[in-house]
Amino acid sequence: MSGHLIDLYGWSGALASFVLWLLSLPFELLNWIALQTGAQKPGPLVGFIDWLAGPDLTALVALIVAITIVLLWATAFHLLIIMWIERKMYSRLQDRRGIMIGLGSVEILRNTIGRIPILGAPFRRPSHLGTGFLQTVADGVKLFQKEVITPEKADKWMFHTAPVIIAASTLLLFVAIPWSDGFWLMGSIENGRPVNPLGILFILAAFSIAPLGILIAGWASNNKYTLIGGMRAAAQLMSYEIPMLLCIIALVVFAGTLDPFELVRKQTAPFSLGPVQISFLPNWYVFNPFLWIAFVVVFVTVIAEAERIPFDIPEAEAELVEGWTTEYSGMRFGIVFGFKWLRALAGAALISILFLGGWSGPVFATFMVPNMAAAGQMYPVPILPQEFWFTLRIYLIFVVFVWIGWSVPRVRIDQILNIGWKRLVPLSLLSILLAALARGAWWS
Amino acid sequence: MATDLLARYLPVALFAIFALLFPVGTFLATRFIRRDNPTPLKDLTYECGEVPEGEAMIQFHFQYYVFAIIFVVFDVAAIFLLLWALSFDATRATQVGFAAIVLFVAIMFAATNYALKKEEVLYI
Repeated sequence: MSGHLIDLYGWSGALASFVLWLLSLPFELLNWIALQTGAQKPGPLVGFIDWLAGPDLTALVALIVAITIVLLWATAFHLLIIMWIERKMYSRLQDRRGIMIGLGSVEILRNTIGRIPILGAPFRRPSHLGTGFLQTVADGVKLFQKEVITPEKADKWMFHTAPVIIAASTLLLFVAIPWSDGFWLMGSIENGRPVNPLGILFILAAFSIAPLGILIAGWASNNKYTLIGGMRAAAQLMSYEIPMLLCIIALVVFAGTLDPFELVRKQTAPFSLGPVQISFLPNWYVFNPFLWIAFVVVFVTVIAEAERIPFDIPEAEAELVEGWTTEYSGMRFGIVFGFKWLRALAGAALISILFLGGWSGPVFATFMVPNMAAAGQMYPVPILPQEFWFTLRIYLIFVVFVWIGWSVPRVRIDQILNIGWKRLVPLSLLSILLAALARGAWWS
Repeated sequence: MATDLLARYLPVALFAIFALLFPVGTFLATRFIRRDNPTPLKDLTYECGEVPEGEAMIQFHFQYYVFAIIFVVFDVAAIFLLLWALSFDATRATQVGFAAIVLFVAIMFAATNYALKKEEVLYI
């Protein structure tokens, strides 16, 4: 049982009340001056100050701060890291070093901080020895400056709306994905524990909006490649949603809940399945033999939902140029292309919560952190908090995605649909029956 | 109850607005950094350097529609299965209920296979 480090609502609440208190200070001063110059006793601005530093506005500002933190956490932190992992990883699989631009490649940094004797060592590294992390940042900056070309024959309104739909629906996944018992947005606290009864359902629903945007993008570009790519992508995403949903139903037969927090809590207990009890094994659903089929199917469908190789027919650069993204340029291309990694990230988080014990992990030692929600109190935090274990799992699952992706050839579109409908759907129906049979046989 | 629901889902509603503003804001921000220089040749539809021929907004293969229909059927059926799974109580599981679910799943399986059998060659 490990604790969480980040208490999102507590921290953002403390920050919000501090900022609002700072904002109210000038008005307090004005009010004081007004009192000195002969105004009536409470002063003319007291009502405004009470509203400014009051609980309603503080709660709203705290919520906005929390949302901003989650958005930045997903897009500015994890997105860059998993893009870097992917590029480094597939380079190694192809027996090359891949991207190498690091801090030492930035001339200004090398000539200033790099001159400092010992601390400046990472900034002195030559370009061919860097970590390569700055490459993804440089690509982002490059895309910011690129020209946006709107094809003359395109349906302009729809052409520019589609990336917004795709990006917004992808970001919407992260409202329901908790990162630990304290780092979550959607949910509430009951009996001192976070609950979110519809979390998994919400994630699945958010996953299913993207095909709409992809269809619009493919059609509105008015290009043969984008039309075929968009149709294929939508058909693929729709086909693979069904097995994913059915396999999660098989898991729900065992778990009895769609609450991500409850799912993780159930998986922290020692392994128990009917009469079988194993004390040294955690109760992860991946260890349950009746859910092995479901685990494999969910893994495959997440790869397909993220449009990764072997299911990246929508992109298929050998035949369709760039699939449904062909006509997009500049930051519009950057958003629709880069957010595929966010979908992979969300899919990895989903797999981790459903089958791999979420953010549970061993506690080695703890340190005390002040509780922001209640002044003067402290709570213990492990040196490796839940956020660490969750992130570790996500990155490891993502490494497996990359490993699979760059080891197998692309599957043809009719084969993709056949795999989806003629293999995965029967398999997932079978796993529902297996789960129901196992539970019914053992407990009745 | 209503206020409780609002308190629980206000973050989601606000997050949805922020998620919409994120790409819109990014696209607006690039407007101040990038420099557009459209020319008639650049604005042509991309067809590997050739002058584009014909229309792209055509009537697409009908086969696509079959998958959409099967998807809708399964999506609705999945809701019923989900409700059944959520309320699955092993202590009160009856053979009649289980047989009903097996029958339901079997019908879906057979119907999907029948629908797809007619699509021998896929053109999508």
